[in-house]
Amino acid sequence: MHRPQSWVYRASALGVVGMLIAACGTGSPSVAPGNTGTAGTTAPESAAAGAKKGGTLYLLQPSTSQEWNQIDPQRAYTGEDLAFFGATIYRSLTAYKYDPDPVKGTSIVPDMATDTGTANPDATEWSFTLKDGLTWQDGSEVTCEDLKYGVSRTFANDVINQGPTYAIAYLDIPANPVTDTADPNSAFLSAYYGPYNKTGQDLFDKAVSCNGKTITFKLNGPHADFNYTTTLGFGAVPNPTDHPGVDTGEQYGQPDSLPWSNGPYMVESYSTGNGGEMTLVRNDKWDPTSDDYRGAYPDKWVVKFGIEDKILDQRLIASAGDDATAVQYGAVQPENLSSIFSDSETALPEFADRAISGFDPYSRYYFVDVTKTKNVKLRQAMAVALDREAILANVGGDFYGTYADGFVKPNIGQDYAPTGFWDTFFGQAVPNAGDPELAKKLITDSGEAAPGITFDFPDSPTNQKTAAIVINSLGLAGITVTPNPIASSYYATVFTNGHNFGTAGWGADWPNASTVIPPLFTDKGGWNLSHVADKDFEAKIDAAFAELDRAAQAKDWQDLNKYATENVFAIPTFFGKSQTIAGNAVGVAIDGAPGAMYRWAAYGSWPYAQLFVK
Amino acid sequence: MAAYLVRRVLMMVMLLFLLSITVFALFNALPSDPARLTCGKVCTPALLEANRRRLGYDKPLLEQYEIFVSGIFTGREFSSSSPKPIQCPPPCLGYSYSRHQLVLDMIAKAAPVTFWLAIGAFIMWLAVGISLGIFAALKRGRWPDRLVMGVSLVGYSFPSFFIGLLLYQFVIVQWNLLPPPQYVSPFDKPIQFLQTMIVPWIVLAVLYTAFYMRLTRNQVLEVLNDDYVRTARAKGLPERTVVVKHALRAGLTPIVTAAGLDLAGLLGGAIISETIFSLPGLGNLAVTSVLQSDLPVITGITLLVATIIIFANLVVDLLYAVIDPRVRLA
Repeated sequence: MHRPQSWVYRASALGVVGMLIAACGTGSPSVAPGNTGTAGTTAPESAAAGAKKGGTLYLLQPSTSQEWNQIDPQRAYTGEDLAFFGATIYRSLTAYKYDPDPVKGTSIVPDMATDTGTANPDATEWSFTLKDGLTWQDGSEVTCEDLKYGVSRTFANDVINQGPTYAIAYLDIPANPVTDTADPNSAFLSAYYGPYNKTGQDLFDKAVSCNGKTITFKLNGPHADFNYTTTLGFGAVPNPTDHPGVDTGEQYGQPDSLPWSNGPYMVESYSTGNGGEMTLVRNDKWDPTSDDYRGAYPDKWVVKFGIEDKILDQRLIASAGDDATAVQYGAVQPENLSSIFSDSETALPEFADRAISGFDPYSRYYFVDVTKTKNVKLRQAMAVALDREAILANVGGDFYGTYADGFVKPNIGQDYAPTGFWDTFFGQAVPNAGDPELAKKLITDSGEAAPGITFDFPDSPTNQKTAAIVINSLGLAGITVTPNPIASSYYATVFTNGHNFGTAGWGADWPNASTVIPPLFTDKGGWNLSHVADKDFEAKIDAAFAELDRAAQAKDWQDLNKYATENVFAIPTFFGKSQTIAGNAVGVAIDGAPGAMYRWAAYGSWPYAQLFVK
Repeated sequence: MAAYLVRRVLMMVMLLFLLSITVFALFNALPSDPARLTCGKVCTPALLEANRRRLGYDKPLLEQYEIFVSGIFTGREFSSSSPKPIQCPPPCLGYSYSRHQLVLDMIAKAAPVTFWLAIGAFIMWLAVGISLGIFAALKRGRWPDRLVMGVSLVGYSFPSFFIGLLLYQFVIVQWNLLPPPQYVSPFDKPIQFLQTMIVPWIVLAVLYTAFYMRLTRNQVLEVLNDDYVRTARAKGLPERTVVVKHALRAGLTPIVTAAGLDLAGLLGGAIISETIFSLPGLGNLAVTSVLQSDLPVITGITLLVATIIIFANLVVDLLYAVIDPRVRLA
C-alpha cells in the first residue's frame, strides 16, 4: 500500500527519504498518551454507548495532497486511504479488527464474507461466501459477479495500473505468452488481458468462479494468508452486465465518474486540486444489519485537500470552528512537534486525548548488494561499524523512529519478534554509535581486506550529512566509502545501477511478514535491491507461505527475519515513527464507549470507523 | 498600426513554436522517468515497459512532439482500451495519467483562481502604490514622504511567504477574523470569495505596492521639474490637473510596462500565496506537477504562461501609444 504517483513528493515533503517507494499497511502499536494500550474486543459500533451519531467529521489533507492518489478499488494502495475508504465507501471480503492493540488490531475479521475464508489443505484454493443484505448505493445487491469483476480489472494493466497486482501474482493464470516487445500485447502481465480486452477470459473464469454467493479463488501456489490479500485490490465493482456504464475504466473514481459505494457513506461530490474537497453523505441503502464492523457515527465526512502543511498543524492545534472535528492526514511538521509533544511518546496535557505518536508503516534500512559484497563477515562489519545513533540524530531523533533490529516491524503484529542482532548475536552488545573494533575483527575473520564500497542515497542536505556519518563511522573500521548522491529517480536508478549499499525503506502491504521478507530478499516481490538469491532461504519462505497455522506461520517469519538480519541482506536502521493530531471534538469509540485515541495498527492510520463527533 | 500588429502576432506565433520545441525537449530530457513514477510500487521491467508504452514515451521524441502538436489542432484519444476512452478535443494539451485529468481542464479550472488573485492584488497595489507615490512626491523631503517610503521599504523587504504565514496565523488561526480559505467562484458565493481572497490580495499587494510607490514617486518627481509642467502651473491650472493630467500621465509609461509584466507574471501563478492559502491556481498546479514529474501538465502550463507573457508584452507596447501621445507605433 503506497502512493504510487505521489510518494516521491509526499515523502520528500516529510523529509523521509526511505519512504519514497515503501509500501504501507502496517500500523503502529503506539497509543495516545494516557492510553496504556488497554485493548479489548471490538463490539459492534452501532451499539456503542456514549459515542454519538451525527455531525460532520473533516479530514484535512496537506498541500502535497491535491486529491486522493487513487480511489478506484483496484488502484488504491496507500494505507491511510485504504483505511478511510474501508471505513466509509468500500467493503471487502475480510478486514482488520479495530483495536488499539497491535496484534489484535492486525487480526483478520469477516466483512462482506460470512467468515474469514476457507482454504483447502495446501492453501492453494480459497472460498468466501457473501453475507445477505450487501447492497450498492442504488439498492441493488452486491453479487459474487461484482466481486469477480472487480478482481478481473487488475489484469487490465493497459488501463488499470499503479494498483496492487497480487491478483496477477497469486491467481492460477499463466503469464502472458507474448514476450516480443514489438507486439503491443506484450504489455499485458498475464495471459488474461482483463475484462475490457477479454483475451484469456476462460483462464480467469477457471481461476475465479462464482457459485451462488460463494466465490472461489484458485491460486498458483500455497498462500496461507490469502484472506489478508483479499483486503487489497480485491474490492467489488459493479459488473457491466448488471450495471452497464458504471465502470468507466481509467476514469472510474474520478470526479466525472464517482465510485459506487457499498459502505455506510457514498460520495456526494468530489473536486480535485488544491482547495478541492470530497463530501461523503450517508448511504441510505447500506444495511447496518449486514455490517457490524463500521460505526458510521458522523452524518457526513468532508475531506479537504491541499492545505499548507504548517497551517494545517496550526489549525488543528487551535481547533477552532469546524477544525474541532477534523483529523489530520499525514504527519505533524517537525517544527510544530514541540508545541504538541513533550517527548516523542508523550503529548502535552492539552493535547493528551487527540495527539498520537507512534510507528508509521515503514522500516528503514540500508540495502547491501550481496553479489558485490559476498562475504557475510564483511557485511556484518559494515553493520557493526555504522553509527546509527548519529544518523538518527541527524534525521530527526526519537520523533523519527526507534532503532530497528530487523525488517519486520513490531506493529506488524505477531510476525515480529526481537532478533537480538544488536544485543546478543555477536556475543556482545553493539552500541548504537557503532563498534569499529568489533568491525575490524569481523573483517579480519572474513579473510579479506577491508572493502572499498560505494554508498547510494537520494541527494538532499540531510542525506549529505548522513553520508558523512556513514563515511566516517565505516572509515573507523577501515572501510572506505565513496558517496554517490542520486539527484532524482533514486529507486529507478538503484534498481538498475545500484552500488554496494544504499538507503531504502519498506512497509508491509498487509500485516503479515509475507509482504516484507519475500519482496525484500527474493525476486517474488520486485524489491530485491540486495540481489539476494538464497535457495534455502527461498525454500523456507515457500514453507511459510504454505503454513496455515497462523502461529506456526508467524514463527516461520520471525526466523526468516532473524536469518536475513544476521546474514546482513540489508542493515536494519530504524522503525519509523510519525505524529498526528485531531481536533478537540473528535472522539473514538472503543469497546462500545468513548476511549483514548489510538493509531490503528492495520494501516498505521486513524481508526476511521470508530471516530465520532463529541 | 495594422502592419505593426500583424508583424507582432506573427512574431508571437514563431516564438510560441520555438518555445514549444524547447519546453518539450527540455522536460523530456529530464532525468526523472514519468513512466516509472506512474508504474506502481513493484515496478518490474515488464510493467515499466508496459507503462511506458501506455503513456507513449516509448516513441522517438520527435514523434512524441508531432503527436503533441497535432493534438493541439486535431485532438486526441487517451486510454483507448478503457470502456470509456478519454476524448481530448482540440486544443488538446494532453492527459495527466497521474491525476486522471485532461491538461486543458486542469488549467481551465486553475486559471480563474489565479486570475482573480492576480487582478484583485493588481488593483490593490496599483491604487495604493500610485496614490501614495504621488503623495510622497508632492511631499518630497518632508516627514510624510519619509514615512511612506520607509513603510514601503519594510513591505518590500519581507518575503511573501513570511507575510502570508504571519497573516494566516493571526488573522485566520489565532483571531478567527476570517474562516480558513476555501476558494469559491465570486459569482457563486461572493462573500466567501472575498473572505478567502482578501488576505492573499493583501499579501501580494504589500509586496508589489512598495515597488510601485517608489516608481511612481520617482516618475512624478522627474516630470514635475519639466518645463511643460512649469508652463501648466504658470497658466494657472489647478494643481490637481497639473499632477494628474500632465505629470502623472507622462510618467506612467514605465509604470505601465512594469505593471503589464508583473500582472502577466502573476497570471502564471503566484506560487507562494496560492500554496499558503490553499488556492487551487496555476502556481499550485505547476509546483505539484513538477514534483510529480507530470510532463503533460508542466508542458501545458509553461506554454500557457509563455503565451500570457508574450501577449502582455504586446498589450503594453500598444498601450504606450494610448498613454503617451509622443509614442507612435510603426
